[in-house]
Amino acid sequence: MMLGSRYLSTVFTLAEFELRKLKHDFSEIGIRGVQPALWLLVFGETFANLRSVPTGAFSYIQFLTPGVLTQSVMFVAIFYGIMLVWERDLGLLNKLLSTPAPRSAIVLGKAFSAGVRSIFQAIVVFALALFIRVPLNLGVLEVLGVVAVIVLAGMCFSCLSMSLVPVFRTRERMMGIGQAITMPLFFTSNAIYPISIMPPWLRVIAIFNPLTYVVDAMRALLVTSDFQALPLDIGVMLFATAIFTSIAALFFRRILD
Amino acid sequence: MKAIEVQTLSKIYSALKAVDGISFSVDEGEIFGLLGPNGAGKTTTIRMMLTLVKPTSGSIRVFGIDSGKFPESVRQISGYIPQEVSVDGDLTGYENLLMYAKLYHTQREERDRRIREALEYMELTGRENKLAKTYSGGMMRRLEIAQALVNKPRVFFLDEPSIGLDPSAKNAVWKYIMNLREEFGTTIVVTTHDMQEADTLCDEIAIMNRGKIVVSGSPEELKAKVGGDIISLGVRSGDCSNLLQGQGRILSAKPDLGLYELVVAEGEKAIPVILDSLRESGIQVDSVSLKKPTLDDVFLKYAGVRIDESGTWRETRRLRRTYRRLG
Repeated sequence: MMLGSRYLSTVFTLAEFELRKLKHDFSEIGIRGVQPALWLLVFGETFANLRSVPTGAFSYIQFLTPGVLTQSVMFVAIFYGIMLVWERDLGLLNKLLSTPAPRSAIVLGKAFSAGVRSIFQAIVVFALALFIRVPLNLGVLEVLGVVAVIVLAGMCFSCLSMSLVPVFRTRERMMGIGQAITMPLFFTSNAIYPISIMPPWLRVIAIFNPLTYVVDAMRALLVTSDFQALPLDIGVMLFATAIFTSIAALFFRRILD
Repeated sequence: MKAIEVQTLSKIYSALKAVDGISFSVDEGEIFGLLGPNGAGKTTTIRMMLTLVKPTSGSIRVFGIDSGKFPESVRQISGYIPQEVSVDGDLTGYENLLMYAKLYHTQREERDRRIREALEYMELTGRENKLAKTYSGGMMRRLEIAQALVNKPRVFFLDEPSIGLDPSAKNAVWKYIMNLREEFGTTIVVTTHDMQEADTLCDEIAIMNRGKIVVSGSPEELKAKVGGDIISLGVRSGDCSNLLQGQGRILSAKPDLGLYELVVAEGEKAIPVILDSLRESGIQVDSVSLKKPTLDDVFLKYAGVRIDESGTWRETRRLRRTYRRLG
């Protein structure tokens, strides 16, 4: 019992201080809002005029908003490993690992930090979407659901990133690998077009892409209110997060050597 | 019970022996130093004691706790300051302390009082709400010591505590470290390549070179092992090793540069004798100096080179990179 509460207290402590850092310097969040702004305002508005993407009863911009939201969360989380490399080079990671906290609690805490950080990233995208008057479901339950999905997605992709650190080791290589996987993840998902218009080979990839499920959950909550696939979406996210967390925790010590 | 007992400890990265079967023990309340050049294996040793690096073989006991079996218990009673800066510049001084107080599970009611005390003790009161990245190097080190103080460690590991600090900040850090032992009886393990630091701080020193402990003892014992005073000579023309051999023990000889170091029992009396004998042989003496032995001379005696000649920066960086790749 005491062990369990100590474990959780480590996880929450790490997240708490991540938030405090964010409080001291909010500019980063703003800078990272530029890319989703481009997707929504430039790409979205223009593409919507084509009227060639079958998005059913909803407008293209409505279809796109959950996709861009997910993308912005994923982009930030996928580069979280770079922060770990940075902390290792500084000596912060060594110090953190010298505390009594179990390795897995540190990994989980870092992941949860990334998840919580993602919420603030998402707020920027939300503000943008509201600014251009995209109709979204903003009931209390929907918003809470979206927050949960954002945190889970942030954890999932930051753990993916952290499990790559022992392999790639340096900031430069992490930057490279981050860029190498974000775009394929994005384009092979249903973030900017529905799976139904994909060629068959791409559909197969989309089904194995965790991002697809995140986007699907966001879209269900914010736009379609069709919750049929929601349990599957959440299940896949939990599963992917568990796998990536385990890999990251297993090889975490190798980051130091 | 010994505070720390290390037995035949090794860490091998592929073919590279970073630490090669070392054994030593540290008494409770002692300041123990691992002295050696860059790349000697000091940091790897300290990280193994802290359970950050898994030993290839050997055993470590910290206050009787087997660190291989109960790493988390060992970490709970340990404090650590790594060589690199380990304060988070994006948090305030107070937050840096609070975070670690929480990670060490310090009681909620005690936290604030302990943090205030640690800040005051390290003379950081008044600056605690500033972001740590605005601190000077010396203040950051003090904050790091404060961080460890909050958790009242029984054993405190410091990896090159004064590296990169200017002389006055260095002296201040030494003073705090020594006070820590005086006031709380904390056992302290430091690694250093700075012989002056080892001499000032440590009760016991183990000198490391290439993964092995070459000699150990108190600074006084070690210096006595050199066997007396050291006379350095700069001469012109010819090899005078043979001539000098009769006067004392040759510590180092560089005939091509005309530089010699000689150990003699009583330097003040030996100098005139040596100078006379050199003059008789027609050898011109350019310079002569006398000094009491330092730990560097001890290192020279047992490792065959001076500390700063062994392990250049580039070599060390290459070595570290290799570790990292192999790890």
